[in-house]
Amino acid sequence: MCEHSKNIYLPNLATIDAIVEETPDVRTLRLVFQDEQVRDNFSFRAGQFAEYSAFGAGESTFCIASSPTREGYIECCFRASGRVTEALRGLEVGDTLGVRGPYGNSFPIEDFFGKNLVFVAGGIALPPLRTVIWNCLDLREKFGDITIVYGAKTEADLVYKHELKEWQQRGDVKLVKTVDPGGNGPEWDGKVGFVPTILEEAAPSAENSIALVCGPPIMIKFTLPVLERLGFSDDAIYTTLENRMKCGLGKCGRCNVGNVYVCKDGPVFTAKQVKAMPQEF
Amino acid sequence: MQKYISEQNFNALLDSLIKAGKRVVAPRMNAGTPLYEPITASGEMVMDQLPRRSGKEAFFPLCEDIMSYEKEGQKIELKDIDPARFPETVLVGVRPCDAAAIPVLDAVFSWDYKDEFFLERRNKTTVIGLACTRADDACFCTAVGLSPADPKGADLFLTPLAGGGYGCVTYSDKGEALVNANTELFKEPNDSGALPLAEPQSETFDLKRVKAWLDEHFEDPSWDSIATRCVGCGACAFVCPACHCFDIVDEGTEKAGKRRKNWDACGFWKFTHHASGHNPRDLQPKRYRNRIMHKFKYYDDKFGQTLCTGCGRCIRLCPVGIDIAAVLEAIMKDE
Amino acid sequence: MTQPIDTSIYADVTEAIRSEAARVLTEGQVSAVVGYAAARRKGSAQPIVISDAADAGKLVFTAACVNNLAVYLTKAKKEIPKKGKIGIVVKGCDLKALVGLMGESQLKREELYLIGVPCAGVLASTIQPNTELTSDTIAPKCRECDAHLPVGCDFVPGIALRIQPQLEEKYSAEIARLEAMPPGERWAFWKEQFSKCIKCYACRQVCPFCFCEQCLCDRNKPQMVETTPRPAGNFAWHIVRAMHLAGRCAGCAECERVCPMDIPLNLLNRKMARELKELFGHEAGFEVNDKGPLTTFTEKDDQSFIK
Repeated sequence: MCEHSKNIYLPNLATIDAIVEETPDVRTLRLVFQDEQVRDNFSFRAGQFAEYSAFGAGESTFCIASSPTREGYIECCFRASGRVTEALRGLEVGDTLGVRGPYGNSFPIEDFFGKNLVFVAGGIALPPLRTVIWNCLDLREKFGDITIVYGAKTEADLVYKHELKEWQQRGDVKLVKTVDPGGNGPEWDGKVGFVPTILEEAAPSAENSIALVCGPPIMIKFTLPVLERLGFSDDAIYTTLENRMKCGLGKCGRCNVGNVYVCKDGPVFTAKQVKAMPQEF
Repeated sequence: MQKYISEQNFNALLDSLIKAGKRVVAPRMNAGTPLYEPITASGEMVMDQLPRRSGKEAFFPLCEDIMSYEKEGQKIELKDIDPARFPETVLVGVRPCDAAAIPVLDAVFSWDYKDEFFLERRNKTTVIGLACTRADDACFCTAVGLSPADPKGADLFLTPLAGGGYGCVTYSDKGEALVNANTELFKEPNDSGALPLAEPQSETFDLKRVKAWLDEHFEDPSWDSIATRCVGCGACAFVCPACHCFDIVDEGTEKAGKRRKNWDACGFWKFTHHASGHNPRDLQPKRYRNRIMHKFKYYDDKFGQTLCTGCGRCIRLCPVGIDIAAVLEAIMKDE
Repeated sequence: MTQPIDTSIYADVTEAIRSEAARVLTEGQVSAVVGYAAARRKGSAQPIVISDAADAGKLVFTAACVNNLAVYLTKAKKEIPKKGKIGIVVKGCDLKALVGLMGESQLKREELYLIGVPCAGVLASTIQPNTELTSDTIAPKCRECDAHLPVGCDFVPGIALRIQPQLEEKYSAEIARLEAMPPGERWAFWKEQFSKCIKCYACRQVCPFCFCEQCLCDRNKPQMVETTPRPAGNFAWHIVRAMHLAGRCAGCAECERVCPMDIPLNLLNRKMARELKELFGHEAGFEVNDKGPLTTFTEKDDQSFIK
């Protein structure tokens, strides 16, 4: 929310500091707020999202993909699929866009202290968990084992490729990366198989563990039963939902799943909460 | 406080407000259609018809600019909208079904984030309500806990009297302020009784029971039979006093333009459609279900209120005769 | 002077529809029948789809049967199952729309069982449902009706329509009035009307010819017509729609009936229909024409607009 105005719909302006082309149609933008006060005071929690403006095209909703422990900038990651995301893809380093937020609830990181963490993500859904991953890695001693199971359709579709290498090379994270059958190139050094299958193979222990899952609906559908089989209770599984949004702050009436507003009551939910919702997302 | 105002004095009151530069919004004919719109003279008012829209546009306009942008090279300049610019308004002749929705909408527009576009207009508006002496069989305010003389939402409420003129009662500081600023027009109450009030012929709906049914019947084959014929326009949402969903769009070019907040409706197929092509409410019965759920369950879950005042406009104006009162009747009969 | 309209045959028409619908459903000739049924408000009617012969008793035909049911057979309405033959109750104006849809390859005649009704007229949109049909309460489109008896149906009750009074044609008079205005005045007329438009798209959603699964104006890459309900966009919306309907619109006037703001949309469509008749000899009727005037080109076509 803009510091200097009572207009809740007015975005803060930010400059694009860096662009990473994660895949042919997925980009990461690193953003620095133009207003000094905002730059110094902007804070958020992992899991929160913002509304990003490509002025002239509109706003689009993505999580804040960088960790709250990193100061001075925020990052977002998106696939160009609609009018606004295509306009955002057309922006260059030095261009201005708008950021409205942070909105929504967040992952209760403090509740995870002392526990093992299992991250399970698929494709373009890694960014909402990546913020938590770095948040936890930046406070590494507070957590037990950290396991990351991440897969995409093909090698080219993996996002944060350079960070996957970093996680692989750190001694304190177990990274299991995979691609769908047929998605591996000749030099692929990871697994081949769908994420739920590879997760079951990796069989992380559910004892004193929290699972964080993010992926397309089909992946979630097959991953939750695996976690159940591994012994995770619905209270110990977290996910983030996405839905069509406009205002991002609970008024425009669009993002509700039943009586739950994804923008206000979410986007972070436990599997227990998700199962209690009408299946309308 | 209780007062009496004659028809003549009431017109004089409005004319003096207009002369003082206040925006006076009242039912008037616009190209043959009665609507709550700004008037330039009291003679423009029509008091014998229910306006086709609810008057919520006095606080929640059909379309409004929420900011403008201008691009110069890599820089963008934003121009904010100053709520102080919203005009002082007197909203006149507001029927109970329309006025009662206003405090209901307060809840969502002040939920954590304060929408000053709505709230500042609310602050600056004095609502003069008017009791109804006529109803048709689409009216069902009495069925949802209101009545043709319910002053909910009004700062000053008028009841037409048998001997002419109106009995007035103030319900807020704003109402009292209006009376106190015009003491020569408002007299002490006389003994003229009220004209007989309208009697909407509708069974009363036990809203708790309706909500309990909705809590349990998200998946129910009756949604198909109720709503298959819905054609997915926005008429019901737009004429409704309580519907408040909106869209935010940028209009202009890349170089300069406006960001606007416009009315939107959950009946439209596009409402929940993702850019990926996925649509959680992809068929019309699901969208209609959301309408009923939002009005009679979700808004209650979130804010403890019902999002319907029984004005009957959706019933009268639905292109395919979907009747929300019939839906509620059917729910009441189930089990 | 108010003239009553004779609707005494409607009760018999109702009986005939019921028995025919029951018959074709029982015999399995159709999988469903789209018709009208009584609704909660006294004297009102609503569209209904029945697939069980036992429900045939719900069907009615009254002066409140205003809907053009053809819209439910277009591909835009995915919810109506289209397995096998479908029966549909049609007034003459509704049938013209169906015929148009057949001409545009949206419907196949052999997939329809047409139950035609002789119709003396239906109520105007601003009239309460439980009102007698008279020259004052009748829908404006009915005043100029030339299709009281639908032609080419599979079943029409053998009930003769009583002679109806000749009614003053209000559309023709209004079109003439607008045509006689200087452009500035005509612009002011439409500006006043369109200032009421709230972009509810009811006009589009009930129109049988607006069957595009995604309307041009609902696309946002690019946004051809702005969505904001203000004069510029409203004008653009209605002109685009009138142009897209030119040569196709069958004159059912549903758009005008459903407009919550009483915008006289049918005037635009009737004016376009006149232009099409004059320029290309085209008129909506009961004969299927698969060579629509704006989808085919012949050398005889008027080219006077090319200057």
